[in-house]
Amino acid sequence: MAGASERILECVIVTPEATVLEHPAQFVVVPLYDGELGIAPGHTPLIGRLGFGEMRLTEGNRTWRFYIDGGFVQVADNVISVLTPRAIAAEKLDTAVIGEQLQTVQTRPANSPETLAARERSIAQSRAQLRVARHAGGRPATSAAH
Amino acid sequence: MAKARALDKRRKSVRNIRKITRTMELIATARFKKAMDRAHAATAYTKRMTALVADLAHSGLDVDHPLLVERPTTERATLLVLTGNRGLCGGYNSNVLRLALARLTELQTTIPQLRVEVSGKRGLAAFKFRGLAVDECFTHFEDKPTFGEVDVLATRYLEEYLAGRLDRLDVAYTKFQSVSRQIATVETLLPLGSLAEGPVDERASRKQYEFLPSAASILEEVVPTSFKIKLFKCFLDAAVSEQVARMVAMKSATENADGLIKMLSMTYNRARQSQITSEILDVLGGVEALKSS
Repeated sequence: MAGASERILECVIVTPEATVLEHPAQFVVVPLYDGELGIAPGHTPLIGRLGFGEMRLTEGNRTWRFYIDGGFVQVADNVISVLTPRAIAAEKLDTAVIGEQLQTVQTRPANSPETLAARERSIAQSRAQLRVARHAGGRPATSAAH
Repeated sequence: MAKARALDKRRKSVRNIRKITRTMELIATARFKKAMDRAHAATAYTKRMTALVADLAHSGLDVDHPLLVERPTTERATLLVLTGNRGLCGGYNSNVLRLALARLTELQTTIPQLRVEVSGKRGLAAFKFRGLAVDECFTHFEDKPTFGEVDVLATRYLEEYLAGRLDRLDVAYTKFQSVSRQIATVETLLPLGSLAEGPVDERASRKQYEFLPSAASILEEVVPTSFKIKLFKCFLDAAVSEQVARMVAMKSATENADGLIKMLSMTYNRARQSQITSEILDVLGGVEALKSS
C-alpha cells in the first residue's frame, strides 16, 4: 500500500456551476458513451466522450460514486478532468423521485423527430440515474459488481 | 414652530429611506458575492474546456462544424436581451436596453425575419413602453441562473439553428469585467465563429492524445457544449453585473441620504434655536410690560 500510493491520480469534476470534487484517487472509473473505462495512474493521455452513468473513485478503501450527465473526460499527467453539465453524488439520488420522473418522461407525447430524440435522451438519463442510485443503495461501497 | 416640525418630519422620512437603501446595499453585496463565486466556478469549467479544444485543434483535426460556419445569407435572426427583473440598480437596465434597441433597428433593416426575446421584467416594460413586439419573454432568471435553466434555452436555439430556422443569434447583456467596470455589449453567439479563445498554453497542447471514440465525434459534442457555456456565461455575467450595479447605486443613495440628514439636522437646529430665542424674547417682553405697568 505504501509503495503503490506514491503514484496517485488527481481527479477533478467540474460543472458549469461548481467544482464538485477535487480529490486524489488510486483508481477511477468513468462512464464513456459506450461503456465504462477504468483509469489507473500512468494512463496514456486521453480525451473521451462521456455518457450518462456512474463514475467511481477509489482511494484507500473508500469509494465515491457520482452520477455523470454526459460531457467529456480528459486524462493527462495523472490528472483526470471530468467536464459535465451535471454531477450528482450517488447518495443524493432518490429512487422514488427518479422513478416518478421516468414515468412522466415516458408518457410525454413525442410527435416529431426532435421531441422523440429529446424524450429518448431524458429516458436514458433517468434510467442511468436509477441504476446509479440502486447501485449505491445496494451494498456498501467496496466492490462494484454489475 | 411649524417650520421646525416640518423639517423634523422630513428628516425622519429621509432616515427611513436611508434604512431601506442601506439594507438593499447589504443584500446586493451578499448576492454579489454569491453570484461572483458562481461566475468563478464557471470560469474553472470554461478554462478546462478551452484547454480541451486547444488539444483537439492541436491533434491536426479540421475544426469544422455547422455551428462554426457563417451562412451566406442571414434570413432569420434572434435578438436576446438580458435585463433585470427589478429596478433601483442605476443605469444597468437602461444601458443594456439602449444598446439592444440600437442593434434592433440595425438588424431590422437587413434581416427580414427578426425575433426578439427578452429576459427580465424591466426589459419587457421598456419594450412595451416603446410599442415593440416581444416574441418570447422570460422572467424566471433571478440572481442565480442555473445551468439547467439556460440549457433549455440553449438547446432550443441549437435545434432551431441546425434545422435552418435560425441563422444568427445576438445577445445583449452586461459583461462583467471587474467590480468597478461592467460594460453593456451585444455579442453574436451563433454562428460561433472560432472555438479557441484566449491564450493557449503551449506546453499543455503539445501532448498527443488518444481519442475515445474519435476526435471528430468529440468535436461534435464540444461545439454545442461551448455554445451552451457561452450563453450560460452571459447569464452569469448579467446576474453579477446587476448586483454590482445595485450595490453601487444603493451605496450612493445611502451616502446621499447621509448628507441630506446632516443638512436637514443643521437647518432644523437653527430653526429650533431661533424659535427658542423668539420665545424668550416674548417672555422678556411680557415681563418688561408687567414691570412698567
